[in-house]
Amino acid sequence: MNSDLVSPELRALIVEDETLIAEELGERLSHLGFSVIAMVDSAEEGIAIATRERPDLVLMDIRLKGKKDGVEAAKEIRSQVDVPIVYLTAYSDQLTVDRVRGSEHDAFLLKPFQGRELQTTIEVAMRRHAARRQKKNEI
Amino acid sequence: MSSPAINPGFFEPSPFNKRQLYVIGGLSALAIAPFVIWPRLSERLLATDFLPHLYCYLRNPRLVWTHVVADSLIGLAYLAISITLAHLVYKARRDIPFHWMFLAFGLFIIACGGTHFMEVATIWVPLYILSAAVKLFTAVVSVTTAVVLPFTVPRILALVQQAKESQQVTARLRASEERKAALLREVHHRVKNNLAVICSLFYLQSTHTKDKDAAQIFRDMENRVHSMALVHESLYGSENLARIDFAEYAQALARDILSSHAGPNAPVLLKSEMEPLIMGADLAVPCGLILNELISNAFKHGLPHAADGEIKLTLRSGPEHKCSLCVEDNGVGIPADLAVDPGKALGLRLVRSLTQQIRGSFELVKVDRGTSARLQFTVDRHEL
Repeated sequence: MNSDLVSPELRALIVEDETLIAEELGERLSHLGFSVIAMVDSAEEGIAIATRERPDLVLMDIRLKGKKDGVEAAKEIRSQVDVPIVYLTAYSDQLTVDRVRGSEHDAFLLKPFQGRELQTTIEVAMRRHAARRQKKNEI
Repeated sequence: MSSPAINPGFFEPSPFNKRQLYVIGGLSALAIAPFVIWPRLSERLLATDFLPHLYCYLRNPRLVWTHVVADSLIGLAYLAISITLAHLVYKARRDIPFHWMFLAFGLFIIACGGTHFMEVATIWVPLYILSAAVKLFTAVVSVTTAVVLPFTVPRILALVQQAKESQQVTARLRASEERKAALLREVHHRVKNNLAVICSLFYLQSTHTKDKDAAQIFRDMENRVHSMALVHESLYGSENLARIDFAEYAQALARDILSSHAGPNAPVLLKSEMEPLIMGADLAVPCGLILNELISNAFKHGLPHAADGEIKLTLRSGPEHKCSLCVEDNGVGIPADLAVDPGKALGLRLVRSLTQQIRGSFELVKVDRGTSARLQFTVDRHEL
């Protein structure tokens, strides 16, 4: 993994309603050098933790427990914290993909995913986020 | 809500041929009879010993021409309307209920047109007796239509009601069809999700295993289950929720396997030449598992350290739904013991029994550079 992108102190939040998939994501993230601050399964908890802890990366599932879904959660998080958000979504679900395209995020990972896809997607998200932040600073 | 009882009689063609021919014949006889009984009738009918209307209008050209133009237009319009009605009845005689009613209307309108044409004629030629006969005929037809029409009102209303209800039934069927599709989609989503959870379990177990061989076993299992999860993922997104394009699926699977096997030092080039091939889930799952084994094998045995490793996927569909799927690598070739005794490697054993399951044939061929694994199978017998 590119070392300028991920240094040991980077903190990640996982919002995913399948806890075992969240576990896998957690494990993969620690292999990539992230420390996982929390794994939650509802949008509400995700929003609360993201705004309080201000993580460096959020992995966000679209289908979640509770009333809100991942797209709404991402929107709310983005309105308060500037953080790279990676959606986890089923690519064939065209409706979801269309909705995701027009919403607040930096990259999305198609489920079921495998191997290095997660790493590549996170790299893309963090690079886009950095570029956006730089643009903002210039303005 | 119960479905409305459709009265089949409404939509059956009226017994036009017999009964209505009798009616027409009877009416014609009634019309001709007076001329037969009283031969001078036609002479009387065409008698012109009266003053034409022209005199009543005092030869005022404006008044005369206004009458002529208006009456002609009315007559022509009536004629056009009745021709349209007759055409409608002729074209849709099997589907229009009470088409005799339309014919009565047509006749009534023609008769009305006739009176107007007589009005035009009598301006110059005083055919008042003929004009009176036409009017009398119009009166008979009009009164008949006027009397019969109210009796058909309940039946027309019933028909309108039935049309409305059949529209509701169609809407209900459509809604139920949509609910069914949503349910099916949800099932595929859940199956896919559960399989993804199993993949996660294998992954987690592999990272918690010190033994390298054991870890590899869990990775292999993860890939196998992943190939099945991907079928449900494709089904979930497919139009009819029962069939997928195997070429698309194979692309995605190959990409995933590549990403799970490829280390940073062994970039492997994936080439594919695949024709679209639609198949049902019952065939796609074993084919996906086979493809997973073949691609994984190419990585494990064919290209262990290849710097310019290349895997080529080919999918062709021939005549009579015969298809061939080929995975070719440019690696070191099949280890001798594997080729001789396929039972030694689980991967190839799985391929052989899955091939049997889909009634296909499989061969592993050594080619110029590397190995070619060829699977042949037929699609139609599995089609849904």
